[in-house]
Amino acid sequence: MPRIAQGDRAALRQLYDATAPKLFAVCLRILSNREESEDVLQDVYVTIWRRADRFDPARASVATWISTIARNRAIDRLRARGPLARSVSVENLEIADDQPGADATLAATDDAARLEACLSELDPRTRDVIRTAFFEGVTYEALAGRMEIPLGTVKSWIRRGLARLKRCLER
Amino acid sequence: MSEGPDLSARETLAAEHALGLLGAGDRAEAEARMARDSAFATLVDDWRARLTPMLDAMAPVEPRAAVWAGVERALGANDNAAARRRLRFWRGATLGSLGLAAASLAFAVLVVSRSLEPAPPPAAPPMLNASLMTPGEGSHPMFVAAYDPVRQALIITSLARPGADPGHGHQLWVIPADGQPHSLGMIAPGASKSMPMPKAMAPMFTPGAAIVASLEPPGGSPTGRPSGPMAAVGKLGRI
Repeated sequence: MPRIAQGDRAALRQLYDATAPKLFAVCLRILSNREESEDVLQDVYVTIWRRADRFDPARASVATWISTIARNRAIDRLRARGPLARSVSVENLEIADDQPGADATLAATDDAARLEACLSELDPRTRDVIRTAFFEGVTYEALAGRMEIPLGTVKSWIRRGLARLKRCLER
Repeated sequence: MSEGPDLSARETLAAEHALGLLGAGDRAEAEARMARDSAFATLVDDWRARLTPMLDAMAPVEPRAAVWAGVERALGANDNAAARRRLRFWRGATLGSLGLAAASLAFAVLVVSRSLEPAPPPAAPPMLNASLMTPGEGSHPMFVAAYDPVRQALIITSLARPGADPGHGHQLWVIPADGQPHSLGMIAPGASKSMPMPKAMAPMFTPGAAIVASLEPPGGSPTGRPSGPMAAVGKLGRI
């Protein structure tokens, strides 16, 4: 990352080669659209290039930092589609040909496994809202409207869910 | 699992921000607060670290090579943002300056290819790339394009600023060796498109073929040929 901050294009290329398929999957999951995802992915690496000097290894890992940029950019794009926009669930997403499949999924990290275990301890509705919020950047208001439940109810589900999630992860 | 205490109001906000629940206004406020309140920033960072592993379960998907090409070109353009802002992109030029533009493009391609790492093992046949420049407007592309011979599709991104000229649109053309322009349709400022080519047109995308954007009425050229001034031009080549 320091090399990228100094304007080393080869370093950016290395990071791209190592991480683009992962971040592309993130964009696709959020946007369900290949062209838009490619567009956002390009923007993500340009952003990394321009902001690399602000990366602080004491605050976040490289993986978390770049994933957060990718997710935020994709969510910005999703929101720009308009208030009715929502992404299609990943099961309905058509991913063309030759993609690596199950092996990569199985290789998910320990952190992912722990988070998954803790999410599965939440009640299913809360888990679903947290996932939806994470993958779609949907506001409380939009979630309440979509699920046809009172705003206060959504807020308390999520807030209680987040508190439980944190305790579970710290166990 | 037993009910424990709720998160503090401050941590709740941090978690909500990390999760993506805040609307545009609240989100901007949270970003500003992160900048001036490092303890709050740490809470947000911690929540991002907790939640981001949700992304790990996703199987990687290889993006097309055109994405990296687009990144590279955007880096070049951003290296001199002031000059790019000065680019008056609606200013057209005549077809007479095509030679000049091609010459400056050839130079740009040379510079770019020298700055690259050794290319990754090529998948046959290679992609063709073009940067579409406004003739006489320096070295910043208005469009970047890549033709993928495997998928027989042209991937093109407009770098023009949206909303600058609602009265006109950009129409894209391919001009193969015989010099006859063939319409590829309209592209909105700032948009990216992947355009699959019909069998009859795919053979036109060879090294040296020109991709041109002309300035046209919003619905496209009424004549079937470029009717307005040329906004940008570039030739396909292997990089």
